[in-house]
Amino acid sequence: MAPVLPLVLPLQPRIRLAQGLWLLSWLLALAGGLALLYSGHLLAQLWLLRTFLAPSCPFAALPQVALAAGLGALGTGLVGAGASRASLDAAQYPPWRKVLGPLLVLGTAGGGGLLILALGLALALPGSLDSALEDGLGTALAHYKDTEVPGHCHAKRLLDELQLRHHCCGRHGYKDWFGIQWVSSRYLDPNDQEVVDRIQSNVEGLYLIDGVPFSCCNPHSPRPCLQSRLSEPHAHPLFDPRQPNLNLWAQGCHGILVLLGLRYLQTALEGLEGVIDAEGDTRGYLFPNGLKDMLKTVWRQGGVAHRPAPEEAPPEEAPPEEGLPEA
Amino acid sequence: MALLKVKFDQMKRVKLAQGLWLMNWLSVLAGIVIFSLGLFLKIELRKRSEVMNNSESHFVPNSLIGMGVLSCVFNSLAGKICYDALDPAKYAKWKPWLKPYLAVCVLFNIALLLVTLCCFLMRGSLESTLAHGLKNGMKYYRDTDTPGRCFMKKTIDMLQIEFKCCGNNGFRDWFEIQWISNRYLDFSSKEVKDRIKSNVDGRYLVDGVPFSCCNPSSPRPCIQYQLTNNSAHYSYDHQTEELNLWVNGCRAALLNYYSSLMNSMGAVALLVWLFEVTITIGLRYLHTALESVSNPEDPECESEGWLLEKSVSETWKAFLESLKKLGKSNQVEAEGADAGQAPEAG
Repeated sequence: MAPVLPLVLPLQPRIRLAQGLWLLSWLLALAGGLALLYSGHLLAQLWLLRTFLAPSCPFAALPQVALAAGLGALGTGLVGAGASRASLDAAQYPPWRKVLGPLLVLGTAGGGGLLILALGLALALPGSLDSALEDGLGTALAHYKDTEVPGHCHAKRLLDELQLRHHCCGRHGYKDWFGIQWVSSRYLDPNDQEVVDRIQSNVEGLYLIDGVPFSCCNPHSPRPCLQSRLSEPHAHPLFDPRQPNLNLWAQGCHGILVLLGLRYLQTALEGLEGVIDAEGDTRGYLFPNGLKDMLKTVWRQGGVAHRPAPEEAPPEEAPPEEGLPEA
Repeated sequence: MALLKVKFDQMKRVKLAQGLWLMNWLSVLAGIVIFSLGLFLKIELRKRSEVMNNSESHFVPNSLIGMGVLSCVFNSLAGKICYDALDPAKYAKWKPWLKPYLAVCVLFNIALLLVTLCCFLMRGSLESTLAHGLKNGMKYYRDTDTPGRCFMKKTIDMLQIEFKCCGNNGFRDWFEIQWISNRYLDFSSKEVKDRIKSNVDGRYLVDGVPFSCCNPSSPRPCIQYQLTNNSAHYSYDHQTEELNLWVNGCRAALLNYYSSLMNSMGAVALLVWLFEVTITIGLRYLHTALESVSNPEDPECESEGWLLEKSVSETWKAFLESLKKLGKSNQVEAEGADAGQAPEAG
């Protein structure tokens, strides 16, 4: 079988190659570890935001694939580091020979394949993230009042905490709250004329008000928060409509969450890019046939060194000692 | 009779020195940990200095930082000494310094213990600082146009949201102060005029709280105003309503936060202190073992190590004697000087 891309390597470059491989393997393991951490973090964030993402969107697929790719990179890196370290010592190498072949195939095909899949998902998902958040936030807003309906009872608390933490109000702005009924009918007095008027004033029989929940309030406002009767300019004394409205949060939660989601995607991608580079370099160095042959020759020469040929003996003894890196 | 005598042969001495060297470097890491804990506490106190009237005491974090730095310095020095202890030539240059160094170590350990105790005891002073600071903070809540106090509203709101608390001891504290600025009151309204007339100081007091007291876990939209008036809200009873607002007072919430922080730091410092005491004892044994090597030419010989050469009471007496001698020699010198001066003058 003719070797693919044969390289002639004397002893010194072989040692340098093994050392370089050792270093690269550790870098690959490090990149894999970082990718693992990033995807874990992203999964945790998605778990917190799951109420606001439409369940039909498989948004968790990307971090899960990145998690698998990170694990693969970590494993490949660790085994590669062990193999390169062992290759410098003739006695330690033989058990690694059986491992190295399948490892190279698995690492390259499996890891590379996972990375390509992750990249594809990363490019395709932001669009679906947008629509997933749109649907998810809409559902949460609609179920804000359903604190006693099983399955939706946490929508109010989660939406309040979201608005408080991320400094946003409604989907695209505070007026989203005017279009839905966010006060539960349990707390509406059926004998109050005002309530009856409001319910009768629209087709669906919803109690709509021009007010927002307390979580939309902006603490930076110099005056105590105005939450109700926001459409009536004369309802509140000394309310100057020309002043920039610091009263409520101006941004909608949709925009902020898309920014957050995209930022996490970007950081996850950056971690994965590092893995790609290490994989690419390693792929460049590891030629299956060539490496096996040259490592076999190293082992054979190590055995020959016990009967020293005069000109070869001193350089043989010295380099393996200096070549063994302190792991 | 020596205190806690232990026999050392060559092997034991070497092992002791090696073990001490390792422990000293671990202790340097522990010193770095203490330093960073002190720094973290200092930053946390600074972050909320506004609600503590900017008068909080930084004694504990400063002393933790100092102890961390001192620990790093002393332990790296001790590590060097232990490393050299195995080589008689190198050890000879450290010999005269070792006794005063051990005395300094003992003082350092005592100081570290005091700092650890302070970590646990600072709660009391923090409580009174917080009580005053929060009271003032709430008083200045409405002064958003007064320079120097304009951020108080934002600070208190963010504090109540983050720590899930309301007011100083509870939400009723807000009923006793005017937290709505006069700029936003319509003085032509009858209701406003009535309220202002109803109390001696002419303040606009409401039975309402700011929005930051609201609890997101409440099943109904937050009720902020007319909290004591059951008829103002449908199906509302202020005696039994628990989830509407945060129940905790901010003083208790902040105090719990800082107490747990300082307790855990105190626990870590206590562990480090135990470690340091072990190192000091080990160093003392090494010192005495090397001192009592009877034949300097023969490194293999046995020697004895002890903590104190005589028993505790005898050592204490000897210490007092040496102090008295020091005092007497000063006196004699002074008298001699006077006697010398008197004939000169006379």
